[in-house]
Amino acid sequence: MTITADKEAPQRDTPRKRSVPKKVKKKANRDSQLKSAVLFLIPASIGFIVFFAWPALRGLYLSFTDYNLLRPPTFIGFDNYVAISTDPVFWNSLKVTLQYVVINVGVQTVAALLLAVLMQRFTRSMVVRGVIMLPYLIANVIVALVWFWLCDYNLGIINAGLDFFGIDKVGFFGNENIAMGTIAMVNVWRHLGYTALLLFAGLQAIPKDVYEAAEVDGAGEWRVFRSVTLPLLRPVLAFVLVVTVVGSFQIFDTIAVTTGGGPVDATRAINYYIYQRAFERLDFGYASALAVILMIILAAIALLQNKLLRANESDLER
Amino acid sequence: MKMNRVAILSLAAIPLVLTACSAPASSDSAAGTTLSYGLWDANQLPAYEQCAADFQKKNPDITVNVEQLGWDDYWNKINTGFVSGANYDVFTSHLANFPEFMMNSQILPLDDYIKADGVDIGAYQDGLSDLWKGTDDKQYGLPKDFDTIALFYNEQFTDAAGLTAEQLGSLEWNPEDGGTYEAAIAHLTVDANGVRGDEPGFDKNKVATYGIWMENSGGADGQTQWSFLAHTTGWEETNGAWGDEYNFDDPKFQATIDWWYSLVEKGYMPSFEAQTGIGWSDQLTAGKAAMASNGSWMTGAVFGAANDSFTPAVAPTPTGPSGERASMFNGLADNIWAGTENPEEAWKWVSYLGSLDCQNVVGEAAVVFPALPAATETAVAAFEAKGIDVSAFTTQVEDGTTFLFPITDHRSDVNALVTPAMEAVMSGKAPASSLSAVNKQVNDLFK
Amino acid sequence: MSLIDVKARRAAKQASRADDPSLAKSKVAKFFGGLALIIVILITLFPIYWMFRTAFSNNRAMFAEPLSLLPVDFTFGPLQRVLGLATPEEAMAEGGSGASINFAQYMLNSIAACTLITVFQVTFSSMAAYAFALLNWKGRDKVFAIFLIALMVPGIFTLLPNFILVKDLGLLNTILGIALPTMFMTPFAIFFLRQFFLGINRSIIEAAVIDGANQWRIFRTIVVPLAWPQIITLAILQFIQYWNDYLWPFLVGQSESSKLLTVGLGIFKSQTPQGNPDWAGLMAGALVAAVPIFILMLVFGRKIVGSIQSSGVK
Repeated sequence: MTITADKEAPQRDTPRKRSVPKKVKKKANRDSQLKSAVLFLIPASIGFIVFFAWPALRGLYLSFTDYNLLRPPTFIGFDNYVAISTDPVFWNSLKVTLQYVVINVGVQTVAALLLAVLMQRFTRSMVVRGVIMLPYLIANVIVALVWFWLCDYNLGIINAGLDFFGIDKVGFFGNENIAMGTIAMVNVWRHLGYTALLLFAGLQAIPKDVYEAAEVDGAGEWRVFRSVTLPLLRPVLAFVLVVTVVGSFQIFDTIAVTTGGGPVDATRAINYYIYQRAFERLDFGYASALAVILMIILAAIALLQNKLLRANESDLER
Repeated sequence: MKMNRVAILSLAAIPLVLTACSAPASSDSAAGTTLSYGLWDANQLPAYEQCAADFQKKNPDITVNVEQLGWDDYWNKINTGFVSGANYDVFTSHLANFPEFMMNSQILPLDDYIKADGVDIGAYQDGLSDLWKGTDDKQYGLPKDFDTIALFYNEQFTDAAGLTAEQLGSLEWNPEDGGTYEAAIAHLTVDANGVRGDEPGFDKNKVATYGIWMENSGGADGQTQWSFLAHTTGWEETNGAWGDEYNFDDPKFQATIDWWYSLVEKGYMPSFEAQTGIGWSDQLTAGKAAMASNGSWMTGAVFGAANDSFTPAVAPTPTGPSGERASMFNGLADNIWAGTENPEEAWKWVSYLGSLDCQNVVGEAAVVFPALPAATETAVAAFEAKGIDVSAFTTQVEDGTTFLFPITDHRSDVNALVTPAMEAVMSGKAPASSLSAVNKQVNDLFK
Repeated sequence: MSLIDVKARRAAKQASRADDPSLAKSKVAKFFGGLALIIVILITLFPIYWMFRTAFSNNRAMFAEPLSLLPVDFTFGPLQRVLGLATPEEAMAEGGSGASINFAQYMLNSIAACTLITVFQVTFSSMAAYAFALLNWKGRDKVFAIFLIALMVPGIFTLLPNFILVKDLGLLNTILGIALPTMFMTPFAIFFLRQFFLGINRSIIEAAVIDGANQWRIFRTIVVPLAWPQIITLAILQFIQYWNDYLWPFLVGQSESSKLLTVGLGIFKSQTPQGNPDWAGLMAGALVAAVPIFILMLVFGRKIVGSIQSSGVK
């Protein structure tokens, strides 16, 4: 359609005359791809609009209301946000959530990366792969309960072991300074295999010949990792980091089953606080405002990560 | 709320180009009316299924579906049900949630039905029906059962310590030195070397068996933790039913909590750090504690766990400065959901649940104490038949030493404010006097 | 299959191992790598062993020996409770609950719901990922960023509106109602697949365009086969996730024909506010529920490895 129009257009100078058809052809291609893109996106868009976008917009509206779930909401402007700005429990929840995210994502990513590389470089065993995925097959509430027991001060086998070796017992879930770290490690245990498998899928996408080349060069294990594996894995690693950071900011189940936010407020992470405000205290407007703030924080972090890690670029292509 | 639902539906439905929007498919069937009824205690499920069957015999046109869900799930379901308009017609309710339901008109007042049917609300154990009176002075529930507090203990430990059941049944407590109650706790505490808590050389850092177990800080009511002590000093948590003032700044209360925490410092009770984990009854079974204060609803679980090293028994709570014992008197009732399509049938079922016929069935199951005195007797006898002496619980009712659950508005906010503060005190991070500041925050909720 | 055949295969396999350049060759590296793997496996397995030990213990006696490494008062009771073979009296005698479980039915429900979700979600998400990764159109990256925000929408926003929608559609107590919100897409699935599609060599696609293939054919015959290992990986991960999901299926599916396994086994959790769980029943339930997905993983896991050896996204 555009092409025909351009053909009829008066031709003014040669350099332009040459470039126009090429540009037009590309544009035509883009338009036809837009049509395909729309078709390809229809089902996903339905899901996105109905089950994510609409509820999120509704939540945004509710964050400006006083709403207890049982009566209609009343609009109160920015009151919830003003109240949050001076809510010490909110600020503390940000602090402890950050603690959790740093420990959880830090340990989990490094360990999963090592594990994925170990699986790629040292074994093809399906049994190993199956075993490291086992924790992820157990529902997280159960995982939390099992560790709650294993770590119990009086009845847990870990403290019995410490006691046997003459080491002081540790209140893994009951000590204010340790509780959040314990919860983070419990989730590392459950998600290690999962994250390793994601990374492993990325490693599988690395062509074999680059390893051949490295072998020919006589590169050691560490050098192969540094200069072959890591750069080529970067897009997948970036993806895994974004997903795990966003996911661990939303920590909830493990806290709900074990500490319930205590001791004092040591494990009252933001998402747990949101839940308590919404469903225990029936302060849904306030909880919505907290959730909006959490969303903004997460979006900012994801954006930053994407920029820092240049997630869209694959070194393979270049 | 209706508006809101319409808005949600219409907006959400646009991209779906709606298929038929069927009416909420909840109850009426051709054969008659079906009521849904919810409860959380699995141990009572058989008894209530029996009640439902008996009820159906008398009312052939009404079917009752009894559904049991675990505690957390149960309340999730009910809260979602209120918002979405798909809920149980009748459900077992708890005082912790009742004020919110009542104030938001989610449950039906029963006065008209009670009057019409001539139900004698005074027939239940004293005070129980008052628990289910709203701020509007209307009756929202018929009492179904009640619970009180007592001391569960391991007889093998008390025997070894030379304490008899009579001695344990006549303990005295005061907030200054803890009285014979503290002496018993100290004597029951044993360290890793077998030295008792009141003997020289006791190592409080290596305790093998604590004299008494701490089951978290007790939050805002301390139902099973400290309320039975604090109330013997004449302290009241609030200024009466549906009050608007809390008394956590009362020196009598703070002295009680200071004494309670002193047990941790002396090594007679686990620290907050050490008690976070497996629940108290498993700790008692495992021999990590000699005694634990808790409610009558746990009787079945504790006695069921008897084994070679655990011989369960119960003693009443100690007498305090008032010269009497004290126990919180808590009770459940059935509420009717305001959105039910069959309020008449729902009332029939509720009144049957409150009748002697059904309460006797519940009593025979020997799990809880039904609210009608005659049915309470049935339960006591049923417990006895199982070899369990529950007089430690009932004595509080017979002697009139019970006090009611402190029911007020903003209860969940109060709990959210007080729980962390209590945890700070019980972790040794703050003295009990720090609760005065929290009390001010709490009372500000009512302004 | 004859013995010779097997031998030949094994030899071929070994040869391929020796040839595989992505496997480490150095002996020292092999030793430490192996050691590290063994440590990880031990840490992974101990808590799971603890679950086994608990699942075969008598709940009533459990805390008489809380540290015992072997089952306490060994019994198949918890397993029977989970499979719905114990009478309420038997269950209660071992500290279980009086409620009943229709195990086979719940298992079938779970398989149906998770399959429904996984198949549709992965298909639709692959299509979306294709549009975001390999098609050129104006505003592509902006639209993708908007989709990505869905990753950050907290559960408390989506839970109630989605529940009310499912209810108003008359889909409460149906498998479809359970599946509906996640059937169309999840931001995670799109994000994951897009990441791999980006790595696909565009010259293959451009060549196909020149050959006159339409986008659907390119997607079906080139992109999907190339990224098959990753698609299967995603499918397995999502299937497991929905298999373990609790709150949503609990709210939506309460009838016998729509109750999922996790929901059915929820009765082993604490029944009173201060009560303890039926530890043995809970652990037995968790383990039994994990068996089908473990099998699924092994079966499809082999497929992943198989296809990886031959293809490899480039």
